[in-house]
Amino acid sequence: MAATALTIDGLEVSFGSVKAVNNVTMTIAEGELRVLLGANGAGKTTLMDLISGRTHSTRGHIHLYDTEITNWQEHRIARAGIGRKFQIPSVFRELTVRQNFEVASCRNPSVFANLGFGFSRQTLARIEEVLAIVDLRDKADVTAAYLSHGQTQWLELGLLMLQDPKVILLDEPTAGMTAAETKKTAKIINSMRGKHTLLVVEHDMAFVREIAERITVLHLGEVLAEGDIASIETDQAVRRAYLGSRSIS
Amino acid sequence: MASRQRYDFLLYGIFVAAILLAPLMLEEFWLNRIAKYLVFGMLGVAVALSWGYAGILNLGQGLFFGAGAYMLAMSLKLASPTSLQQGSDKPVPDFMLWNAEPGALTQLCCINKGSFIWLPFQSQWFGVAMGIVLPVAIATITGMIVFRNRISGVFVSIITLALVLLVRLLVIDAQPLTNGFNRLTDLAWLTIGAFQFDPYSRATYYLVAIALSLVLVGARLLVSTRAGLILQATRDDETRARYLGLDVPSYQIFFFVVSAAICGFAGMLYVMVSEFASPTFMDLSFSITMVVWAAVGGRSSILGACVGAILINMIEAKVSETKALVEVWKAVVGLIFVLVVLYLPRGLGGFAHDLLDRWRARNAEAVPDEGLVAERRDTVAERG
Repeated sequence: MAATALTIDGLEVSFGSVKAVNNVTMTIAEGELRVLLGANGAGKTTLMDLISGRTHSTRGHIHLYDTEITNWQEHRIARAGIGRKFQIPSVFRELTVRQNFEVASCRNPSVFANLGFGFSRQTLARIEEVLAIVDLRDKADVTAAYLSHGQTQWLELGLLMLQDPKVILLDEPTAGMTAAETKKTAKIINSMRGKHTLLVVEHDMAFVREIAERITVLHLGEVLAEGDIASIETDQAVRRAYLGSRSIS
Repeated sequence: MASRQRYDFLLYGIFVAAILLAPLMLEEFWLNRIAKYLVFGMLGVAVALSWGYAGILNLGQGLFFGAGAYMLAMSLKLASPTSLQQGSDKPVPDFMLWNAEPGALTQLCCINKGSFIWLPFQSQWFGVAMGIVLPVAIATITGMIVFRNRISGVFVSIITLALVLLVRLLVIDAQPLTNGFNRLTDLAWLTIGAFQFDPYSRATYYLVAIALSLVLVGARLLVSTRAGLILQATRDDETRARYLGLDVPSYQIFFFVVSAAICGFAGMLYVMVSEFASPTFMDLSFSITMVVWAAVGGRSSILGACVGAILINMIEAKVSETKALVEVWKAVVGLIFVLVVLYLPRGLGGFAHDLLDRWRARNAEAVPDEGLVAERRDTVAERG
């Protein structure tokens, strides 16, 4: 069995009297693509905030492989090997696509190490590769602010590929996309599979079917069910909580 | 992009050549004036670095300028003849003597309670070194507190603004030590070996012009390093940068400190050229004026902000000395600001870039250039 990339153990956070995430325990194997499902307010984004250090947990532990990263600062968690894509695409809007990628390629976080010019041939070649994967080659010198919504999302995925973390958190990567764009996104995400361990929040069931292996369903901050797509679609508890009485469309 | 950079450096070359050749055409009175404006140009560089590239609108740049100015002025004050004729074989600033209590010892160590801090300033080079060290130290401490606590945007402006006013008040209040409102005047000239820098000489002008050229080119190179690119990234989206694993505050602090060091350096040069240091350097209006220079020149262009500062000061000098405009010159200058902000939102530097891109696009046989289109949309977007 593959090593465990991400271990979440009894994680809890409360905002006032609301427990947004309550005693969540899950493990994700290396190279796995896990989808997080859940209605609005189920705690999906909060869980991602906890893993990536944006929110501090009140109880529980998070391990990246053997390193406990609970409540570290964001940039340290990122350095340790967790990358994140936000629900609202977040890129460097006044830089060109290529410059965005160059920033993501800076391996050394220190100011003084980065007082030099240019990038290694290897890095530049890798940037070209990623430009091709996310299909932004002909937009390489365009300022990011002028990309379409879909292209901005792909740009952010490209940033993650260059950052090259062990675990990648994707928060609704297809939100607001056309069907064609969604398809292309699925292709990009499938190309990341195997190289990274992925945790994806998604609502679009067609998309989930295209990418998912295992699914974890969250409800009111707790893990409701976990399994492959067929067992989740027929799970009675999931139907009641998340889908009403209707089956998954 | 690469060819854009080549044009950029060509423009820098033209500017450097122009300021180095200016003495051939100007008499010494004007040289002294232009030297002052070049110092202001250096302040423009500092503002462009912190505002344009780091996204930190520092409304207290005058603090660093003033700190640099006072450090050198203290040394030059002690070297001045007015400090050497106070009945002691060691220098004592004249104003300390005028304010001394009856019977006080006429010695720098103890003429008043704090006068001993002047002691090391008997060495001119101590003053020169402190002119950089003090602004850097203040900026480092302020930067650590502000940026490590993720204070950003308008709050940074408010904190820096409050800080410069606080220090200004302290300097005025410490009258026995600083001569308060009455400024430090009658300063000696900076001496290197046997050579004295007469503020009205070509030598002083060249010193300032070369210093500005070095700072200008240095700053331009600095922003094209990887660190400079990362800095712009943190300006655009701090959170994204943080989640890529970059330690955002360390970049902000570093460039905040570089900007402060440039201001301190400019302060020292200003003291050499104008022969005084005054608490007015730390007036709010002066710090805001610096920001206006950078806005007119183009805050996202280091050369633009520098040229903006120099041009505005030249125009101000010309207009305020034109007889017909003596009464209204401030309105004329104000009108120029308004027009620039309305019609050239990215300042003269942005305008120059647009012209350059348009010219290049025409040369490229009217092939639609993505960069140009983006650039134009950029202008429209910022106007809207």
